[in-house]
Amino acid sequence: MSGTPTVWLVARREIDERLRSRYIRIMTALSVALVVAVIVAPSLFHKPAKPATVALLGPSTQALAPALQHAASAAGVKVRVSDLASESVARAQIRDKSLDVALGVSDGQELAVVRQDLDPTLRAVLQAVVSEGHLRASLAAHGVSPAAVAQALTPAPLVVVTLQPSPPDQTAHALAAIVAGILLYMSILLYGQAVAQGVAQEKTSRTAEVLLAVVRPSRLLTGKVLGIGLVGFVQIGLTVAAGLIANAVVNRTEIPSTVWVLLPSVLLWFLLGFTLYAFACAAAGALVARQEEIGFVTMPISMFLVGTFLLTYVAVGTPDALWLTVLSFVPPMAPVLMPVRIALTHVPVWQVVLSAALTLAGAAVVAVTAARIYSLALVRGGAKLSWGQALRLSRS
Amino acid sequence: MSAGDGGGPVLRVAGLRHRFGERLAVDGVEFTVSGGEIVGLVGRNGAGKTTTMRVVMGILQPQEGEITWRGHPVEFADRLRFGYMPEERGLYPQMKILPQLVYFARLCGLDRAAAERRAVELLGRLDLAARAQDQTVALSHGNQQRVQLAVAMVHEPDLLVLDEPFAGLDPSVVDDLSSMLRAETERGRAILFSSHQLDLVERLCDRVVVLEHGRVLAAGSLDELRARLPRRLRVQVDAPAGWERGLAGVHARSGDDEGIVFDLDSGADAQAVLAAAQAAGPVEQFGYERGHLVDVYRELVRR
Repeated sequence: MSGTPTVWLVARREIDERLRSRYIRIMTALSVALVVAVIVAPSLFHKPAKPATVALLGPSTQALAPALQHAASAAGVKVRVSDLASESVARAQIRDKSLDVALGVSDGQELAVVRQDLDPTLRAVLQAVVSEGHLRASLAAHGVSPAAVAQALTPAPLVVVTLQPSPPDQTAHALAAIVAGILLYMSILLYGQAVAQGVAQEKTSRTAEVLLAVVRPSRLLTGKVLGIGLVGFVQIGLTVAAGLIANAVVNRTEIPSTVWVLLPSVLLWFLLGFTLYAFACAAAGALVARQEEIGFVTMPISMFLVGTFLLTYVAVGTPDALWLTVLSFVPPMAPVLMPVRIALTHVPVWQVVLSAALTLAGAAVVAVTAARIYSLALVRGGAKLSWGQALRLSRS
Repeated sequence: MSAGDGGGPVLRVAGLRHRFGERLAVDGVEFTVSGGEIVGLVGRNGAGKTTTMRVVMGILQPQEGEITWRGHPVEFADRLRFGYMPEERGLYPQMKILPQLVYFARLCGLDRAAAERRAVELLGRLDLAARAQDQTVALSHGNQQRVQLAVAMVHEPDLLVLDEPFAGLDPSVVDDLSSMLRAETERGRAILFSSHQLDLVERLCDRVVVLEHGRVLAAGSLDELRARLPRRLRVQVDAPAGWERGLAGVHARSGDDEGIVFDLDSGADAQAVLAAAQAAGPVEQFGYERGHLVDVYRELVRR
């Protein structure tokens, strides 16, 4: 036989059909948007504090500028010193918000002019600086050399000893885990349903009858799963790439570095999970007598997948729990729960490899059974088959 | 691979049995199809026509019996040289017609260029060239049937298996498609064809296999089958009814303005009938009637 391999011909037709579908394009846009939003959003809401602009009025106050910078950085407050001479200009600028504080001396009295209120930390910093000014003046008056004063006033670094460290912030990890879970369960479900629908359409339109005269059922099934899987893989690939680019651009320390590992592993687990679920969905699609019955026959599969995803919400609270570790090795659950664990905690490489191997083996078992059900049910007329009937049929 | 096998049988179905649960749908069916001929499978619904065709096409695995193609048990690769039009039509509803034909042709092993060339040529022959880029669902029933036939023929198969190809079509479409099938056999292709429109089978088929309850009731050329019918006479006499009473071995079947039709027992004497008619009055019409397939079928089924 000449020409292109049958499996690839079937896969190509599936790809062409999916690419024509607006639904797939919308889903791709949405999942890209979701991942980028999750990565970019925190940096939009969590803007770094703007430095407070402080004008030091009068020569004696201006001399305090180095002290102000010192004190501010020790207190973790960002301060920018503005060199302004005139108090009236300063007041005008405070009113129009281009200046925050004007510090000056009036009638021997230190004044801090602000628009509405003074941030308490900044107030403490300014107070310390003013006190330091007084101290320097007083020491100088008593004949202490400025160098000695400067040395005395240079603060010794303060070592902080934590007796009961607060746990590291898990919010970002939890968010990453949930997004990975959503992405995987949604896309496995979406593309699994696409397989079920495609099979059901070929069965109900009797196209299967024409196809099976010239294509072996196993090749028809493999081609369909391959074609739809490739479209899914490209969609997830785009999403992952968008996520990695967004992460590189934003480059925030709040985002756990696990993102670099997590996103590619989402891609890997999509492939494994899709393979396992797609064959089951194909068998489901072959059971129907009418297109409308797809939802019903795929229900056990979708429910299982949704249930697994919901465990993610429990998992984020107990990332190292034994049950989670165990379930992340169970083939139909691993494609969602293993990436969730990767997002939440440190997972040894051997565990990922073992779980992937188990999932692949599970997929092979499902594929063999599904292929039998598929080839028997596809050209069978009459009413919808139940899963029980189908399994009995596949064993006979 | 040559299409022209002229003469000898290419497809042989022997001792075919197929059971669905308790029901024996096909029970020892045997027949052959030769290159260049159209063989009609006739029989009522449930007689086993579709099951036989599905086994020939490999949709159903044979449970008992053998199907050979050019002398060897039919294999998957042989079926790529078969074309199939199932009873329940099967096309991708949303797919455009030309890509659909190209797809099926390529599944049968044609490369893209050859597949496109044949698809375009076939659409032209079927008067569908203008609809090449339309979705299948957008076509009328008759045009969908044409596309279905095109799918069966696009890879220029050596054997066409057509299950009720003309069901629900208007006569002009039937005529078009019939002459196309004839043209195919002239190129040496073999066609296995099922229908319960017996007049159509009579017009189109070289040989007929009559199925009933999964068994072959009769098989042969139309002439061979007609020979099974009793001789049939039509006599028109200008005489009062009842002149034929008392004739031995003669049974009146029907009567109308054109006279009376008689079935003759094998030993009956037609000349005696003529003599009786002449005795009754002037004979306006006297002659043997050519039997139709439908009569053969009724005769067979009645037994």
